[in-house]
Amino acid sequence: MKNTLRSVFHSPRFVVGFVIFMAILLTTLIYPFFVTRDPLQGLGKGFLAPGTYVSVYDTNTAQTYRVELPEANANRMESIVPMEDRVTIIEFLTAKGVDVSHLTTDNSDVAVLVSQWKENYDEADVKKSKYPGFTTQAKRKALARLDKRLSGNQSLAAMNVTLGDGEDAATTKVADSDYVKVSEVANAITLPLGTDNFGRDTLTELVKATGVSLLIGLIAGTVATLLGLIVGLLAGYVGGLLDDILMFIANLFTVIPGFVLLILIYYSIGQSARGVTTCALVIGFTSWVWTARSVRSQVISLRNRDHVNLSKLSGHSLVRIVVTDILPYIASYVVMAFILQVSSGILAEAQLSLLGLGPKTTEVPTLGLMMNWAKLFGAYTSSNAWWAYFPVILVIALISFSLNLMNTGLDQVFNPALRD
Amino acid sequence: MKKLLCMVIALMLALTAIGAVAEVTDLPREETLYFGGQQWGPIVGHNPLSANMNNAMALAANASGSRTIMFETLYMYNMLDGQLYPLLADGEYVWNDDMTEMTVKINPAAKWNDGTAVTADDVVATWDVGIEVKNSTYNGFAPYIESVEAVDGAVVIKAVKTEDGKPVNPLQLLDFVSGTYICQKAWIDTVVERNGGDAAKILEDAGNDAAYTGPYGPYFANDQLVAFVRNDNYWGQDESMWGKLPTPKYIAHGIYADNDATLVAFKEGQIDVNQQFIANIQNLWLEEDLPIATYIDEEPYQLCATMPTAWYNMETPVLQLAAVRKAIAIAIDYDNIIENAMTNQSPSFADVPRSLMNPTDGEQALYDHDAVAELQWVGKDIEGAKALLDEAGITDSDGDGYREYNGEKVELNACCPDGWTDWQAAMQMVAEAGQAIGLDITTNYPTWDIYQTVFTKSSQDEYDIFMWSPPGSAPSSPWGRVRAFMSSDFIGAENNWSGNYGHYQNDRIDEIIAAIPLTTDEDELKALYTEATEIYLTEVPSFSLMYRPTAFHEVNESVWTGYPEEGDGTSIPPTVLTDGYGIAGLFNLELVG
Repeated sequence: MKNTLRSVFHSPRFVVGFVIFMAILLTTLIYPFFVTRDPLQGLGKGFLAPGTYVSVYDTNTAQTYRVELPEANANRMESIVPMEDRVTIIEFLTAKGVDVSHLTTDNSDVAVLVSQWKENYDEADVKKSKYPGFTTQAKRKALARLDKRLSGNQSLAAMNVTLGDGEDAATTKVADSDYVKVSEVANAITLPLGTDNFGRDTLTELVKATGVSLLIGLIAGTVATLLGLIVGLLAGYVGGLLDDILMFIANLFTVIPGFVLLILIYYSIGQSARGVTTCALVIGFTSWVWTARSVRSQVISLRNRDHVNLSKLSGHSLVRIVVTDILPYIASYVVMAFILQVSSGILAEAQLSLLGLGPKTTEVPTLGLMMNWAKLFGAYTSSNAWWAYFPVILVIALISFSLNLMNTGLDQVFNPALRD
Repeated sequence: MKKLLCMVIALMLALTAIGAVAEVTDLPREETLYFGGQQWGPIVGHNPLSANMNNAMALAANASGSRTIMFETLYMYNMLDGQLYPLLADGEYVWNDDMTEMTVKINPAAKWNDGTAVTADDVVATWDVGIEVKNSTYNGFAPYIESVEAVDGAVVIKAVKTEDGKPVNPLQLLDFVSGTYICQKAWIDTVVERNGGDAAKILEDAGNDAAYTGPYGPYFANDQLVAFVRNDNYWGQDESMWGKLPTPKYIAHGIYADNDATLVAFKEGQIDVNQQFIANIQNLWLEEDLPIATYIDEEPYQLCATMPTAWYNMETPVLQLAAVRKAIAIAIDYDNIIENAMTNQSPSFADVPRSLMNPTDGEQALYDHDAVAELQWVGKDIEGAKALLDEAGITDSDGDGYREYNGEKVELNACCPDGWTDWQAAMQMVAEAGQAIGLDITTNYPTWDIYQTVFTKSSQDEYDIFMWSPPGSAPSSPWGRVRAFMSSDFIGAENNWSGNYGHYQNDRIDEIIAAIPLTTDEDELKALYTEATEIYLTEVPSFSLMYRPTAFHEVNESVWTGYPEEGDGTSIPPTVLTDGYGIAGLFNLELVG
C-alpha cells in the first residue's frame, strides 16, 4: 500500500492534478471562514464590474489628507472629457462647418473645444439640419448624452458638497487636493470578480457553487461507481442467467444516449423536486453502465485464476471471494473510473443547468446555474459581463483537467503497458 | 458504384443547401426591412380566420394594436393618445343616442389587392363567418355584439342590450373595430365552399390565396425566413389615407433559434426592428457604440403599458387567506426585480404606485391616488409580512423555520415559462421573499407548451403562484384590465386566455365591472375605479411585479433611419412599426446612406 502510494505520488501528472484539485477543494472549505456573507445575497444592482467600490456618502465624512499629484489635473480632464468625446466634438463641429482645424484633442485645447461645443450644439438644430454623419437617432442621441455630460459640474477648481438635508444641511468645500484613505472610509467593498445579474458577489457565489458542484460530482461518482462495481462483479463472477439479465439491462442503458436520458429524467422530475442530492443521484444512476461492463470483463478473466479456484474449494462464501480475491485486482481500475465519474458528474450538472434543467435555484448556487443565469442575462451578448461566466468556465475546466490528469497519472502507474 | 451514388447524393444535398441560401439572400438589403423577435418557426399559412397559422408578421389582431401589414382593421389604436385612427374606415365612427349602435363608413378608396373595392358587405361577411367558425378573435365579441349589418353602404354594429335597453358594454365595440381583421366576402365564399362549410376545416385552411388590403403581401416563406413584398397598387397611396407607399419594398423576418441568436443578428445589423427583452440594452450604445436606439433614451428606455403579474391560485387552501396573499406580496423586493430582472427597463413602484392602471398618464389620472395611498406597498417589508402571518395564525409551531397552516408546512411553488428571463428572475425573488418570511416557496419553470395549457385551465392545482400579463393598452382600457384582474366571468372558462387566471371571486367587483362601461360621468367613473383599486389592494388576488412595454421596441440604424422617437412630434407609438398606429412609421423610413 505504502509502496503504491509512493509510486503514485512520483507520477508528475498525478501530482499536478492532485495539487490543482486540492487547491480548489481547500479554497471551498477555507473561504467561508473568511467571508461569512450569504453567497446568494444580492449586494448591488445587476452586473457590477470587478473592482473596489467606495461609498460616496462616506468619503465625505472621512478624514481628508492633502496630496499634491502632479498629473491630477490631466487625469481629471481625461475623466471629464475623455478622448472619445473630444473626437466626437471635433467630428460634430466639422460636420456643422465650424473651422476647428487649429484644435487638437490635447488637454490644452479641451477648454476651447468645450466652449465651442456649447456655442454650437443645439438638440433641435441637429435633428432638423441632419448634419452628415449625424442623421440617425442613435448618433443624435449620443450627442445629446455628450451634451448632458458636458453641462454637468466640471469645474476643475474647488467644489461644494452639501451634507444632510433641510435645515441641518452643512456645506463643505472640497479642494482638488483633498484625498481620503480607502481603508478609512466607513463603507468600501472589494469585489474581485464583480457581481452577477442578481447583484451577488460572484467570487463568494463561485466558491460556494464549486463546493456544491464537487459534492454533486462526488455523490454522482460514488453512486455510479458502486452501482457499476456491484453489477459488474455479480455479472462477471456469478455468470449464467444473472449475467444475461444484468447485461441486458446494461445494454438497454448503453443504446439510449446517457445525456438524452438525463434530460428526460430531469424534465419529468420537475424543477421544484430537483434538489442538489436528487440531481446528483440521477446523474449517478444513469452513468454506471461503462463501469459495470469493464468490471465484468475483468472479473471474467479473474474468476478462473488458481487462487480464486482455491478459495472456492476451501468453501469461502461468494462475498468473501469477491471482496478478498477479486476486488484487490481491479481496485486500481475502480479508483480511476471513480475519478472520471466525478469529473463527468460535474460536467453533466453544468450541461443540464445550462439548458435550464438544473437544481432548483433558490437554495444553493451550482457552477451550471451560474452559467445559466449569466447566459439568460446576456453576460456575453448585451451585458458584457465576462466576470459572470468566464471564471465559472475556468473552474469547471480546472476541475475536470485536474481529475483527468490524476487519472492518466494513475494509469501510468498501474497499467503495465504504459509503465516506463 | 456505391461511391458514385454517395457522391451524387452529396452533390444533390449541397446544391439544395446552396439553393435554399440563394433564395434567402435574394432580398436586396437596401430595400428590405428585417424584423426580429416576433416569428418563431416556419409559418403555416395566411388564413386570417384561423388562430394557428403561426404567422406573427401577418396575423396578430388584438385591440391593443393589430398588426396591419397584410390584413387591415377598420381603425388603428394609438396607445400614445388613446385614440382610434381610421384605416379602412372613413372618418370617425358615430354612436346613436343610447350607444347601442355604432355606424362606421368605409373609405371609398379602400381596395383589395385584386383591385375590387372594400365594401360594408365584406365587414358583414367577416363577422358572420368569424362567428360561424368560432374564430376566437371574433367569437370573443359575441357576448357584446348582436349583429353587424350593412346599411346604405355603411357598417352598423349593434350592441347586445340588457333588459332595460342599455348596451352590455359599448367599450367592447371600440375594441372590435380596432382588434379584428376584415376579410373579402368573395374569398370567404371560396374558402367556405372548398371546405364544404366545415368550421374545423375552414380554421385549418392555409388560406394562402386570401385577398388582403394591406400594403404588403406574401413573397416567400421557408424555415429560415418569412418575406412579404410591397403591393405597389396599395390603396393607401390615396390622399385620404397615407398619400404614399411605405418605404421598404420588402419586409422580412428571419427565423432564429432563440433570443440569443436574435440578439446577435440584431447587433450585427441583420435585423432592423427588434422586439425582445435585452438585458442592459444601454450597453449596446454606451459601451459597444452600436447604431442601436430605443424609443426613449433614458431609463426605462421603453414605453411601459402593462404590468406582468403574479397570480394566486385560489384553489390552494392557504392562498384563500387574504393575509397570506398580502404578506407574500409586501415581502417581495420589487426594486431588486426592477433593477436586476428588468435591468431598470421599468419604472419603480415608488415612481408609479401600484394600482389597476398602467403607468401612462391618461390611466393614472383615472383613480384617486390619495384614497388608496395607505393600501399601497413598495415591498421588502419582511417584518410587516411576518406580523400579518402571525396575526392570521400562520406560525411556525414545530421550529423547522417554516410556518404551518392546518398543521402542515406551507409549501408553494412560483412558476413562469422556462427561458422567459426577466420573469424567471422575478419568480426567483418571489421565492426568496417567501423563504425570508417562513413560507417554503420554490421556483418552477415548466416549458412554455406545458405552462400555457396549465394556467389557462378552468381548474388546476399545479401552480400556486404563476405569472401572466393583464391586457396592455386598448380602447377599452383600463376597464378591460380591471376585468382581466378580477372578473368572475372567467371562472370556469376552459382555455381561458382572457383574465382572472387564479379564479378570484368578489361580487362587489363584478358590480363595478358591469357599471363602468355605462358610466359617462367622470367623477363617478373615478370613484368606481378608485373603489376597484381599493378592493384589489386589500384583497390582493394577484400582484404586479414590474411594469413592461407591450412590445419591446429596439431599432438598429445600420441601413434604415427615420424611426419614431420620443418627442418627435409625430405621435407614432413605439409598437415596432407594425402594430396599431405604429405602422405609420413604415412610411417615414429612409436609407441611412
